[in-house]
Amino acid sequence: MLFVTNAQRHRAQGALLQGIVLMWARASAGVLPGFFLAAALVGLVSWLLPGTWESTIMVGLLAFFPLWIGIACAALRFPSGGRAWLCLGIAAVAGLSLLRLLQASGWVG
Amino acid sequence: MKLKPATLRTFTTLHSWVGMLAGFALFVAFYAGAITVFHHSLQPWASPQLAATASLDDAQQLLDQVLARHPEAREHLGMTFPGYELAEPTAYWQNAQGVWQFATPRHLAASPTPPGASLPELVNELHYTLGLPLVGSWLMGLVSLLYGVALVSGLVIHLPRLFKDLFALRPGRNLKRFWQDAHNVIGVLSLPFHIMFAVTGALLCLLFVLMLALSPLVHDGKLMEASAAAMDTAPIVQKADVSRPLSPLASWHARAIAVAAEHGVADFVPGYLKLAHAGDAHAVVEITGTSPRGLGAGAVALNATSGAVLATQLPGSRDANHAVLSAVYALHFGDYGNVAVRWLYFLLGLGGAFLFYSGNLLWIESRRKRRQAEQGRSSIVMARATVGVCLGVCVAISAAFVAAQLLPALGWRVDAGERWICFGSWALCVAWAAWRAPLRAARELLWLAAIVTALVPLAHGFVTGWWFWRSAAAGHGALLAIDLGALALAAGFASLARAASRRSRHDDGNSVWADQAR
Repeated sequence: MLFVTNAQRHRAQGALLQGIVLMWARASAGVLPGFFLAAALVGLVSWLLPGTWESTIMVGLLAFFPLWIGIACAALRFPSGGRAWLCLGIAAVAGLSLLRLLQASGWVG
Repeated sequence: MKLKPATLRTFTTLHSWVGMLAGFALFVAFYAGAITVFHHSLQPWASPQLAATASLDDAQQLLDQVLARHPEAREHLGMTFPGYELAEPTAYWQNAQGVWQFATPRHLAASPTPPGASLPELVNELHYTLGLPLVGSWLMGLVSLLYGVALVSGLVIHLPRLFKDLFALRPGRNLKRFWQDAHNVIGVLSLPFHIMFAVTGALLCLLFVLMLALSPLVHDGKLMEASAAAMDTAPIVQKADVSRPLSPLASWHARAIAVAAEHGVADFVPGYLKLAHAGDAHAVVEITGTSPRGLGAGAVALNATSGAVLATQLPGSRDANHAVLSAVYALHFGDYGNVAVRWLYFLLGLGGAFLFYSGNLLWIESRRKRRQAEQGRSSIVMARATVGVCLGVCVAISAAFVAAQLLPALGWRVDAGERWICFGSWALCVAWAAWRAPLRAARELLWLAAIVTALVPLAHGFVTGWWFWRSAAAGHGALLAIDLGALALAAGFASLARAASRRSRHDDGNSVWADQAR
């Protein structure tokens, strides 16, 4: 490793840049769709627990940030940014739709 | 636990990024926060002339005077009981323009400046806004979220060696390993404390924003309306439009203690009250207080004319919303248990500040080029910024403490003067670090911090006459502890300065810390 050629250096820099792009592609999925997924999870638990949803307001707010951070970090384990956006996006839309359905039908309160 | 090398690399990159984005703000938040733990004790230290005593009668007079003079205060008024924040009671309300107004028994005219010393408020502001107006607390909310990400990613990186290296602290020739060990051991052993701060810090800064976002998304737009019942104790009552005089303040105080005792809280100490619709038959008073053995405050709501109990939220019998909210406050501020808890918070706070400082040093070290004198641009900028911002804020806070004692003695305005000295000296330190070679700047700023911090008890003794021995003899533990704490910090800065000098003598090759690095 004493002599590093220019080609090796360029390859190393290219790999580093690629790594950073990959990291942000996945991290952004954790931050944006991840936000809506965390919201959906908090909402579902809050509305599905026995009793009124009002009685779990603060617990839900408290749980939201760790949940969001957890999803944002877990998003880095997806193989690609596109996959992360797709999976988290579908999960978020599904979660929020289910919640809306439950609320509209009056099954939860 | 086994992790793929690629995963480890990703989390290492993430840890560096969030550390860089949030590390400086977190250093300031933890250093200032460690001091803010003692903000109650800082009041008498910074303004001995306020150490008057007051009774419930004084509080009653204040209440009557404020309600008579300021009609706006009749709608909503808050008031601290004597000895809660200050020895004197303080009344506060919003005027017609929505600006908070304050009054005390000695200053009955409405004033927009809260009573009491400005020093604790300045340190607290640095802690939760970095001193930035308007957006500061939201910025610190985002910083808290990044801090959470840094905790998770740091733990993941360290996971494979977590138990093997838990108590490893390897001094010796490899300084990087020593710093890395120290960073890891403090991070792991104080992890529960850090997780709690990341979560409660984010919630306290962003609660309102989060509620605005979640309300339409998951609560059908009804969250803001429902949150009042989740956070306040007193129910929202419409005015009766029948005038009726308030019952005496002392009767509310006694009633709150009695009601708390009925609910099993034997030693309830009322802290402050909120009064709505004063003068109306439906006037409501909510009395919040703490008990030495409970986590977080409890409250009793009464009809302020008849004394009938409207609602209670007391430790042991409160609902989930109130239990969570008061636990969040109590855990974040460390105002439960006795003084040992606050010292623990202080030490863990300083440990947290070390975590962010050492994180920056490790980032620089991992980019070190040992075989050439020329170091990377980013490493040098990082070294200058770390030295200037982090050591600078230590100098600045100590300078504000000295100013709090000297400015009144010189007859200057304390609150504005303290601010100028604090932010001015901080800016000068940053400029100094940008100009000098990083190691020299570090050494000089550490000596400066040691000297200015050592001046804190001297200025206090010189101006007020409350030297160590007099505080000790009179049993003023808080005054003594602040002076001794400043001396201990000064000694700490001095020993760090000596360590920096040693490093420049036993120079171990090329780095941004080489004596001539530019």
